[in-house]
Amino acid sequence: MKIFFLLAIFSGIVIFEAPGLIYRKYWKELIVFFLFLGFAFTISLLAVLGVPLPSPAKGIETVVNFIIKLITGK
Amino acid sequence: MKLEGGQISPGQIIFLVISFCLGPILLKSVALEAGHANWLAILLGLAGGLLIALLFTSLSIRFPGRTLVEFNEIIYGPLLGKVISLTYLFYFFLLPTLTLRLFGDYLTGLIFPQTPMVVIISLIVLVSASAVRNGIEVIARCSQVLLPITIILLFLAAIFSIPHMKFNRFFPIFEVPVAEFLRVSLFTSTFPFGQSIAFLMILAFIGIDSKKVKMARVSVMIGLIGVGLILNLLVLRNRGLLGATQFIEVYTSHQALGLIDVGGVLTRLEIVVTINFLSMGFIAISLLYYNTALGMAQILKLRTYLPLVLPIGILMICTSITQFENVFEYQHFSGDITPLFALPLQIGIPILSLIICKIRDLPKKE
Repeated sequence: MKIFFLLAIFSGIVIFEAPGLIYRKYWKELIVFFLFLGFAFTISLLAVLGVPLPSPAKGIETVVNFIIKLITGK
Repeated sequence: MKLEGGQISPGQIIFLVISFCLGPILLKSVALEAGHANWLAILLGLAGGLLIALLFTSLSIRFPGRTLVEFNEIIYGPLLGKVISLTYLFYFFLLPTLTLRLFGDYLTGLIFPQTPMVVIISLIVLVSASAVRNGIEVIARCSQVLLPITIILLFLAAIFSIPHMKFNRFFPIFEVPVAEFLRVSLFTSTFPFGQSIAFLMILAFIGIDSKKVKMARVSVMIGLIGVGLILNLLVLRNRGLLGATQFIEVYTSHQALGLIDVGGVLTRLEIVVTINFLSMGFIAISLLYYNTALGMAQILKLRTYLPLVLPIGILMICTSITQFENVFEYQHFSGDITPLFALPLQIGIPILSLIICKIRDLPKKE
């Protein structure tokens, strides 16, 4: 059911954006749009399925802590 | 090639700066680690924020009519420039996800306990997406309408809370060590004041008239001073109303305004906080969302940024929901980690850019 809703939302976005881009012959924009949308779809599908996603916050925390360690030596 | 035909005036920049910086912080008292001296830490942070603003506006004066992404490519070359711009865009992407998460936690925790967080966040992103698709002029006008309402409500709340204040709650002033005080001030200058570095993308829409660009610098300064004053009003009000209990509350302003009682008629004023937070947070999210979409389109050299708006919005929703498990993780990250992550972006890279501009004598006249 959730996946069906997700598909409905994403096809709605495609119907909303794509025709205008095709009409104006913006092929590069169309490709980038589908790449971004595909990425967003993958992430949201994984989130809906309950797969734990890597959090950018955790990554930044690790990097910041590493740099602090380099500077202060603690 | 112009992706966006909109133009804004230096006056609108003042409104935008104030609403943008107030957005994520109306809910709580900032710089609480400084204890009772947090109003002083805010003033010191304001001084630091003004220095940051001086730095980045001198970049925008050097490159009038160009956004951060465009002049990074001039300064650092196409490849390194893109990498640095992507770092900035990541920062601009991360900040609204934090604010969205705050929205979600606050609204589901205190106002709509039965509603799933994803519904609230999606609705806010949908409204912001519509503002972003309509361009910077619409966001600027929204802030012109919403900011006066917010300021009037804040002042009224402050006046109504005076009878409930106790003067001895403001003392003692200095109970934290000086080093801790300075650290808190530095963090306050990166957030909320320093996040105005996002205006490097917006100041390009002032135009290339050098007089207007110089006025824009003054507008950013005035805006930041306004933010500092409003913030001080906010923390002093919360302190006077709550006293020492403010250190254990998560949403300080919400709790503080709940205490107001004017003749048994005007009670439960915490909804004022919600209104203010929703309106200002909407501006803050839209502005950063706009920056991310526009910057991405400029990096990829697209002819329009509109197709990127909705996918980026969905990514924002996913990130804001999945990146933290609870409100304390969020507080730790936004309080202790984000300022350190933001420091090089707000101070280091602008200084480096200015030095390179001086050495290479940029921008070259054609």
